[in-house]
Amino acid sequence: MNPDVYVLWAAAIATLGVYTILHRENPISRLFEHIFVGLSAGYLLVATWTLNLEGKWWAPMIHERRWYWIFAPIVGFLFYFIYSRRLTWLARLVMGLFIGAASGTFFRQFFPLFAPQVTASFKSVRAQAGMNLQEFFFSVVLQNWLFVIILLTVLSYFFFSVPHEGRFGRNLGRASLVGRWFLMIAFGAMFGNTVMARLSLFIGRMSFLLHDWLGSLLPWFGQHGL
Amino acid sequence: MERSPERSFWHRIQQIPRHYVYLLLAGVVVWQLLFPIRLPVVPSSATKGVYDAIAAVPDDKLVVISTDWDASTEAETAPQTQAVMHACFQHGKRFAIMNLQPPMGVKLANDLAEEAAREYGAEYGIDWCNWGYKYGYENVLMALGKNIPKAIGDDFYGRPVTELPMMEGVEDIEGVGLVVIVTGLSAMTEMWIGLIQGPYGTPLATAYTAVMAPIYYPYLDSGQMKGMLVGAKGAAELEALVDRPGKASAIMNVQSWAHVLIIALIVLGNLGYLFARGRRGERAS
Amino acid sequence: MALLRAVWSLFQPAPNRGVLLAAIVAAAILSVFILYALHRTLGPRGRRWLIAVVTFIAGLFFGLEFFWPVKGEPPKNFLTDWIEPVSTMIAVIGAFTVGLGIYSLCQVHGRNVAQRRPGWHNSLTFFLAMLAMLAFGLWEHYLHLPQPLPKVVPWQKGIYEILFNGLFAPLQAATFSLLAFYIASAAYRAFRIRTAEAALMMAAAFIVMLGQVPFGAWLTSSIPVDAGWAFFRIELLGEWVMRWLNMPAQRGIVFGIAIGALAMSLRIWLSLERGTFFTEQS
Repeated sequence: MNPDVYVLWAAAIATLGVYTILHRENPISRLFEHIFVGLSAGYLLVATWTLNLEGKWWAPMIHERRWYWIFAPIVGFLFYFIYSRRLTWLARLVMGLFIGAASGTFFRQFFPLFAPQVTASFKSVRAQAGMNLQEFFFSVVLQNWLFVIILLTVLSYFFFSVPHEGRFGRNLGRASLVGRWFLMIAFGAMFGNTVMARLSLFIGRMSFLLHDWLGSLLPWFGQHGL
Repeated sequence: MERSPERSFWHRIQQIPRHYVYLLLAGVVVWQLLFPIRLPVVPSSATKGVYDAIAAVPDDKLVVISTDWDASTEAETAPQTQAVMHACFQHGKRFAIMNLQPPMGVKLANDLAEEAAREYGAEYGIDWCNWGYKYGYENVLMALGKNIPKAIGDDFYGRPVTELPMMEGVEDIEGVGLVVIVTGLSAMTEMWIGLIQGPYGTPLATAYTAVMAPIYYPYLDSGQMKGMLVGAKGAAELEALVDRPGKASAIMNVQSWAHVLIIALIVLGNLGYLFARGRRGERAS
Repeated sequence: MALLRAVWSLFQPAPNRGVLLAAIVAAAILSVFILYALHRTLGPRGRRWLIAVVTFIAGLFFGLEFFWPVKGEPPKNFLTDWIEPVSTMIAVIGAFTVGLGIYSLCQVHGRNVAQRRPGWHNSLTFFLAMLAMLAFGLWEHYLHLPQPLPKVVPWQKGIYEILFNGLFAPLQAATFSLLAFYIASAAYRAFRIRTAEAALMMAAAFIVMLGQVPFGAWLTSSIPVDAGWAFFRIELLGEWVMRWLNMPAQRGIVFGIAIGALAMSLRIWLSLERGTFFTEQS
């Protein structure tokens, strides 16, 4: 069996079915939503068994006689007591194991993750030897000076424990106002990137519909634009 | 007779029905997909960092490509993954695909790898392999640092990874020359940096959806990442560097005009707001 | 037939099978008794104490291994060799939680079908899709197809490809691609410059949006790359905004998150937190 043609048509029908929701909520889009959720649930089960449990639990336990692996499902199934009102504490017991492990893991990650961020924040604010005025302006002023000012003002914005009263507090308030401006610039940059990301997703789907699906029916679509 | 404020031109310009906006967007995209105005893509320094990092991997070490994405970000992350694979094959670097979450990504990436492998005559198990989806997040990474065969177990096809020829001699993270994370999910990078890049010094390069990329510039600046691909643009830039224009390059042609449309719509809405507010002010005085 | 053979191969006889089975049964029964005894003997305070102890020990193991001095080559301490087996065990235990979400979904949709609520046929479709993916996904896996795949594949693999690449992936891609329309509509309707800060945000957004695309680069392509004012080429300006305006702000946010996450992790590890999970609901 060569499934390529069926895959192409199924994908096109599924895509168009989802796009009907742009007009309004309708039974077709709802049907495809349920199909998607069902397929997702099924695939999760398949992937969990074939790519995790089979090789890392079943094979060691049954084929290599590592009998202690029987405790893995016993402990794992304790999670399902979340559905029992009387025995919920058993689920919280094993959740405590995971939450404790996650906390311990975070302590391990903290220094490797954040220490380089601190060291990289110490940037040179002086001119390097041999630098002319233009180089100094574009590479030191517009980069390092700006970096230090933005970092300190943004940090001051998140300093909520000091009231903006008194001489120090009022200066902190002014700094946090400047920090808020820079945060707005950062959020604007994030918005620009978000627009790019969302549009890419749609362009990708339209490219499939036009070049791949319609291209299989009418060669003109398949040749144009690629 | 003076129009009521709600019916003035500047008010109506702010309230174009959404279906027209949707049709306009679809029209611009279809127009550019069929009749593209091709403009060159210039690789940025962040993208060159990824390319150089792949080229610098020692021949006796692996590249691990963590494909933590699924179809929801496929338009950006699939071309990124494909371009990274092309770069690996072109430089003769062996790579292993893996996935921490979501499970779909490893099959999608596998399909891409099979396609690329056919082009370069690469063989599974010798030039590339797929470690599959491994549930456990940090626990998998902690185990990976100490003992890769035990952490991975079976590959995507159910074979023990120790049976793959390219895994001979690869015991722990010292056998990995570069980790490339291609992801649309946050928190993956922090795990890899905190548990692999930081403690073991394993070089790291990343490829993100454009939404996430701004958050990770601090890690690029600190040197914790060698390079970063940003969305479809980064993928198009890497495609240009490996000389394999693909889907991302096609997307970027369209992206230009879609962005122009969005900017035009924002400007239109604000002009309407500005002039409508001006007229309301006049009327009030 | 191949499927039956595959299932049977999971139960390949191993040496000393009798001892193995006896050990498994004994361990399972003993565990159930221990849990039952704990449930009967411990009151609410005892249970909270036990959960706190388990949480503390789990966190202590990983934290202690990181902080305890290491020696030798490769550098390690008395806990280092346990990291891999313990991490793998926790990952495998976690994999058994896959059924939690599936159970909830089956409960909701099962009720819809059983009580013939409006839209029950959609819930039936959910079950059919889930069972189809489960059946054909496992079937395809146990076919052990050769690598590379031939052009013509067994029909089970074909149906699996239709389900995965024909339905699953495109449905997800299409669903998320709808966001493009929503962001276009939202940007047009809601993005209003009412304050100076909003103007700053929009200016940055415009520079980045134009800087990311080839059209923006073409707009300012007349500025020579090596000129003093090449800074104003939109793609370089956009990159400057990302690296030197956005990046320090993000780093400031990162520092805030780091301190907050450390404090929260410490509180959770020491069971000092109060909330839905941490306190028993009566």
